[in-house]
Amino acid sequence: MRDATVIGGGPSGLAAAVWLAEKGYDVAVVEVMGELGGMLTQCIHDGFGTRVFGEALSGPEFSERLVKKARLLGLRTFLNTYVKEVRIGKEFKEVVAVSPAGVQRLQTRVIVYAIGCRERNGFEIRLGGARPAGVYTAGMVQRLVNLYGVLPGRRIVIMGGGDVGMIVARHLHLEGVESILMVFPEAGFAGLPRNVQQCILDFGIPFRPRTVVKKVIGKERVEGVVLTRVDEKWNPVEGTEEFHACDTVVLALGLVPYTGELKLGVRMDPATRGPEVNEFFETSVQGVFAVGNLVQVFDYVDDAFETACIAARGVEKYLNSGLKTAPIRLSPGENVRMLTPQRVEWVDDADVPVFLRPAVEKANVRIVVRNREGRVLGGFFKRYVRPSTLERIEVPRSMLSNLQEVSIDIAED
Amino acid sequence: MFTLDDKVASVLKKYPYNISFRVRDNIVFLQGEVDSHMEWVEIGLSIGRIRGVEGVVNKITWRGASGKEAREEWRRRVFEEKRNAVVGEYDVVIIGGGVVGAALARELSKYELKTALLEKSTDIAAGTTKANNGMIHAGVEPSRGTLKRMLNVRGNAMYGKLAEELGFRFNRLGSLWLVTPRTLASYRKYLPGLLYNLVLKHVFPWVVKIKGLVNGVRSIKIIRGRRIFELEPFATRDAVAAVYIPSTAVVDPYEVAVALAENAEANGVEIHLETEAVGFIKDGSVIRGVVTNKGVFLCRYVVNSAGLYADEVAALAGSEEYTIHPRKGVLLVFHRDTGVFTRHCLAEIILPQDPYTKGGGINPTVHGNVLWGPTAVEVPDKEDTSVTREEIEHVLNKYSGIVPGFPRDKVIRYFAGVRAATFTEDFVIRPAKWVRNLLHVAGIQSPGLAASPAIAEYAVEKLRGMGLRLKPKTGFNPRRRPMPRAADMSLEELEEKIRMDPAWGRIVCTCEFVSEAEIVEAVRRGAKTLDAVKRRTRAGMGECQGSFCTLETALILSRETGVPLDMLLKEEGRLFNGYVRGEQP
Repeated sequence: MRDATVIGGGPSGLAAAVWLAEKGYDVAVVEVMGELGGMLTQCIHDGFGTRVFGEALSGPEFSERLVKKARLLGLRTFLNTYVKEVRIGKEFKEVVAVSPAGVQRLQTRVIVYAIGCRERNGFEIRLGGARPAGVYTAGMVQRLVNLYGVLPGRRIVIMGGGDVGMIVARHLHLEGVESILMVFPEAGFAGLPRNVQQCILDFGIPFRPRTVVKKVIGKERVEGVVLTRVDEKWNPVEGTEEFHACDTVVLALGLVPYTGELKLGVRMDPATRGPEVNEFFETSVQGVFAVGNLVQVFDYVDDAFETACIAARGVEKYLNSGLKTAPIRLSPGENVRMLTPQRVEWVDDADVPVFLRPAVEKANVRIVVRNREGRVLGGFFKRYVRPSTLERIEVPRSMLSNLQEVSIDIAED
Repeated sequence: MFTLDDKVASVLKKYPYNISFRVRDNIVFLQGEVDSHMEWVEIGLSIGRIRGVEGVVNKITWRGASGKEAREEWRRRVFEEKRNAVVGEYDVVIIGGGVVGAALARELSKYELKTALLEKSTDIAAGTTKANNGMIHAGVEPSRGTLKRMLNVRGNAMYGKLAEELGFRFNRLGSLWLVTPRTLASYRKYLPGLLYNLVLKHVFPWVVKIKGLVNGVRSIKIIRGRRIFELEPFATRDAVAAVYIPSTAVVDPYEVAVALAENAEANGVEIHLETEAVGFIKDGSVIRGVVTNKGVFLCRYVVNSAGLYADEVAALAGSEEYTIHPRKGVLLVFHRDTGVFTRHCLAEIILPQDPYTKGGGINPTVHGNVLWGPTAVEVPDKEDTSVTREEIEHVLNKYSGIVPGFPRDKVIRYFAGVRAATFTEDFVIRPAKWVRNLLHVAGIQSPGLAASPAIAEYAVEKLRGMGLRLKPKTGFNPRRRPMPRAADMSLEELEEKIRMDPAWGRIVCTCEFVSEAEIVEAVRRGAKTLDAVKRRTRAGMGECQGSFCTLETALILSRETGVPLDMLLKEEGRLFNGYVRGEQP
């Protein structure tokens, strides 16, 4: 029986597996695609790994480093292998996976889920109009262009002003499409400032804030979209409808944890839309961990990588029968949209890293940890917070001792 | 005695327009101009309701109506180009490959005949059929004297055997029509106090039951109280009674149509896709050949099952006896997780029916999803399958009273289909009045899917009546090998499959658990486009709606068909647009 089976061979899964393998644990990685690397294989732009490797790498370079390590360690990998079922037994767990080699039944003491996130599609935002050829998610377009050299179309409208949308816009621009227009309902781009500069402004790609696609027009193929301006509450402003001719609509509507593939009854957090985890990224099912973008969508691969390393330490503790105490619940307070972990329960000395997404854009604030009565336990000064940038604080365990519930909010300094 | 002319004239008097009409063989031709499309519909319907009218050809125009000149011009041009290029000679040519055309093809394949099925799209079932909710109605609703009534109950009864022979999924789960205080709220003023509840609980369900029994629907039960919630634990507690109709069933509409077509083809019917009728070669009142973009199909009999375009085909053939008024229906698809909330086809009876969203309800699918809808909205454009945010909200609001705890946010997709309604609002299955060898099978709207096996039988009898000789074929094989599915297999079965073909172990669509082998099989069975593969395999129909598997599926489709990735079609339109540097890498 294996010590751990990691489901998902993207950066987070590989990071966890490599960490454990380096420590001598018997680990396997199960990957549904034909190669390791996950979404990074299609992300040919750079900027990955500034914290993990201390340099800005492209996606394939980042994953290649991990893959090399995995190879050196002789990590067992199952490619083209899809996990169909997971059985949780008292003594051990079983991962039932399907691959061209047959049906695999992998017995393991620990499961680490690292299946990442998926893109929100047009139906989730109730995109109206027809459903002709030519409406694709940004990630699919990225894959199509970068790995297969095929363009989705020539005249593009991109919905969404987040990082993925901006990066895809730049790629399409560089690959020579005729026109691009980005539209988004916010007043400004929702992604990282560096991407606004490097992907949009540097190339003069046109964009329209406070604008959404009301409906898609086209019989066989997209022929255009009807755009409409929206107010601060994203309600359409009457009389601003306008037809814009295009042959492709690219949906960059954000990412959500891909929890549809979690085949067991783990508890979910409606805010992160991922599974609830403790400080070592263990889900509500003992010995089942979840890492990376499956837990909550991170801004940088470096963050996702980090969660995998934290989880790997948790796996080690679990395998060595580490102790737990009564859980301390962590919940988002004012001005915090979501946070991870949702509970702290292991006996450990290390500080607890808490990842949280601000709900506001503000300068000079303090991230405040409070007990149930609202008494301040500690605070962390931040020069500037914004929803597009995930914040991380290290909460000392001493701050949490003997508590049951803690909330974390963002207050004026 | 009033003549038909008098009746039509008196109905038209109600409208403030100068509308002229002509009646020929009980077909009413209308001409004139009105302000709006809705008035066009209304006038057509009011003429269609006159007893004795067998068809309404509504040539009234409305302001803003878009012309058909471009399509007509294209047809004329193709007609001239192709009128001498003979494809073959046939006993029967069926125009239109929806579920009705496919059922007809299969029915005709039981006889010694040379039959061709022509479909203008790239796949069978690509029109109205693909956007159906899959319900096999029991037959309670159709009114007296209609063909719908006669063929629905019979069609429903034929489905069990058909499903067994053709290997499509079929679930006779029954339907439950809830009677709640809202059911007769509009009539409350006539039913004071306790009388309302009495009527609601004890009289009204009987009215429904008796209507069903008269139509020939058996085993209808009236249930009250706790029993309702034993059958449907999540149904609204407002329900005071329910009519339980056990013979209602659900199918996957395109699976049915594809299965029928595959079986017809296996029994000798030629299926010609991307083949559109543009005109007819005639000898007096007899059709000698159907001219298409692929050439001429010489034939002895023609069946017009062209759905939304049946009126145009009838006109081209010289027997325009009805006009189709397209009626759109919007459906919402819910995540499979919601399957636990409904065990039957559920509806709340509300009278009088809202004319724009009549009927509809909450229907489980054979795949475990749940559908809400459909709506019913008259649209000017036969291909208007758009869905607006408002329509989605409307459906959500309309049906959420039936199962209050249903997670409304679990919508994973929505779509719309357009029904091919005629103004007489009944099926039109009869020999053409002015062409000797043309059979109309038109106006097939709800419950057309349920009735389709019976429609096919009935239509073949009509053809016999028109002189077609039907000699049973000795080698007819009623069975079709069902589409194998990894999702339906046990691990052991799947293991066995993988041993024979490793492609069974490569899962392409993880949401719906579809393997590469299934996609290859779909292509072998004739799927040429991404949507055709999707309909046959369900790749892309799950939670992520294809954001992961669209490209993978397209790559396999490209490899199997030899069509380059950038030339693949979704349905009719190209998926992508050329290589980044102008050439294939």
